[in-house]
Amino acid sequence: MRIAGLFGAGLIMSLIMSAALADPAHRHGGAATAEPPRPAGFDYDPPKPGSYRLPPLGVAADGVALDETGAERRLHDLMKEGITVLSFIYTRCGDICPLGTMLMRDLHEATAGDPGLTSGLRLITMSFDPDYDTPEVMAREARELRGGKGADWYFLTARDKGELREILAAYDQRVLTRADPDGPLAHQLRVYLIDREQRIRNIYSLDFLDPRLVLADIRTLALEETAGR
Amino acid sequence: MEASKPSLAYLIPGHLIRAIRLAAGILLASAGATALADETCMSPFMPKITGQEDYVYVWTLGIEGMGDGSDKLVTVDVRPGSATYGQVIASVSVGGRNEAHHGGFTDDRRYFWTSGLDTSRIFIFDIHTDPGHPKLERTIDDFVQATGGVVGPHGAYALPGRMLMSGLSNAKDEGGRTALVEYTNDGRFLATHWMPTSEDPRGAQVEAVADGYGYDQRVLPRKNVMLTSSFTGKSNYMMDFGKMLQDEQAMKRFGQTVVLWDFHERQPRKVFHVPGAPLEIRWAWGPEHNYAFTTTALTSKIWLIEEASDGEWRANAVADVGTPSDIPLPVDISLSADDKTLFVDTFMDGKVRVFDVSDPHSPKQIHEQRIGRQLNMVSQSWDGKRVYFTTSLLANWDKKGADNDQFIKGYDWDGKELHHRFTIDFNERQLGRPHIMRFGADSLYTN
Repeated sequence: MRIAGLFGAGLIMSLIMSAALADPAHRHGGAATAEPPRPAGFDYDPPKPGSYRLPPLGVAADGVALDETGAERRLHDLMKEGITVLSFIYTRCGDICPLGTMLMRDLHEATAGDPGLTSGLRLITMSFDPDYDTPEVMAREARELRGGKGADWYFLTARDKGELREILAAYDQRVLTRADPDGPLAHQLRVYLIDREQRIRNIYSLDFLDPRLVLADIRTLALEETAGR
Repeated sequence: MEASKPSLAYLIPGHLIRAIRLAAGILLASAGATALADETCMSPFMPKITGQEDYVYVWTLGIEGMGDGSDKLVTVDVRPGSATYGQVIASVSVGGRNEAHHGGFTDDRRYFWTSGLDTSRIFIFDIHTDPGHPKLERTIDDFVQATGGVVGPHGAYALPGRMLMSGLSNAKDEGGRTALVEYTNDGRFLATHWMPTSEDPRGAQVEAVADGYGYDQRVLPRKNVMLTSSFTGKSNYMMDFGKMLQDEQAMKRFGQTVVLWDFHERQPRKVFHVPGAPLEIRWAWGPEHNYAFTTTALTSKIWLIEEASDGEWRANAVADVGTPSDIPLPVDISLSADDKTLFVDTFMDGKVRVFDVSDPHSPKQIHEQRIGRQLNMVSQSWDGKRVYFTTSLLANWDKKGADNDQFIKGYDWDGKELHHRFTIDFNERQLGRPHIMRFGADSLYTN
């Protein structure tokens, strides 16, 4: 039995959010923290931004999606405003998607305490389950997850399945065809770091969903931008 | 026999499982469908076959005058009950000999990268379109040029969206100094990271020497560390084995280091002195197990590399493999998913020795069995119930004449004994010298 069938995705998310961070100093719903705490299990100090390279892995594809109001949005229009973190999910996912969304929320919270990052970072959560994840559903997700401060966080869903297939293929984001209309969507969890020139600069799988690590990468790109001016 | 249940579910790291458990134990009902271990020898960053594997892919060296004489990817059917169980069901030739050696899947497990130590070519096979019949999708021919002089692409280790390759040699002197190389999953060169040397340690602490050699590379992401080991360069691995043993200078050109890296930064941190050519590296799987094993080919020892309670990483020899003075030549190793059992193949005596490594500081041999007249690779299923062996080390190092066994053998392992299931004689089948094995399954690619 899948948990998503028992509880709403928002409840699952809140359950995870309420306990996934081991550091008691982390403040949910309170004042924002500039730096996320070390997540349970990740046992290292985050790397120093700028002390390493992030070679471009390829072009971050463009495509049209719907935002939470139902308005059409081009991915590149959102990405050109700054450094982007993009995560593909579906809201009824009962296992790994919430972990990706947890990372996005940590980044959102962290940027609330860092005005320099807030203006230069875009977060995009995009659903690959448009049958269920309508703009209204994504709007509900946004209300539950997005705070008043922090980097812009867009909640998108596909306009149509043909376009979705093209976007997923362009990002090499695997989602297997659903055998049961109400069954799970087996997929590979990937979160993408994209620079202002719409190039993929890193990809994070489950083993790398440490917001401190992603923030170090974001700052590395920001330093690179500064040096390039 | 357990029903086939490979899963696209991706490894959920132990720390995240624990975090979820803190939130709501019931959520484990959902997460519990995912495997907590790999087929034990591969990168953790890929989907897992959590039950019965369907196929064993065998990267095989061609032999002049045998069959088509070319390296090839051989597919063996290991589906229980199949009419072709234990038989070759597909073979894809790459058209030439390249000193086929190691390989690995991409993180999405759709492609199998294999490499040739002699020609430095990389062959990328599509294994997802028809898992029982892989197809050669593309070949990378400019490895040496693209990487700035790295020679002998070896292990292919999956990272998210990219492949991390180890080299064995270099174009300048064909010695052991070499580098790690990164490619995108679609085969575009990204970066070269040269191994630290005594002359240029790149900030690493050096215990005794930094030889700059390479062989295996394995990452422990929750600690942000990577280990690399060290073998020998092209001037040795392409030399006749008997001739090399008589060459005093050649015998000095073997690796004696394991390097600990800060992984994300690709920065070497510490160079351990591990004499005798440390080869395969296996990180323990347990979420609190901050250690890895390797074995040294020439000195026949099991080494433990671990983070001590003071936070320092150290490397120590913890057991002998056979009688080291006999030079049994440990080659491939395989650590079980529960971190309790270590299989060690030794080339010269053709044996597998199984160690209880529940206490990693004190491995105890619990089984020893001769598999053939020579033996190299060992792969076990993630549940530890099935073990496969192949024979070839290197074309010019394999035994000659009647001792030149070339086979894949499949066994069941009951925790105490190996029970033979099948043998395919690669000489008799005119296939060549079987080397690395990787598992495939149809249901990895269906929902």
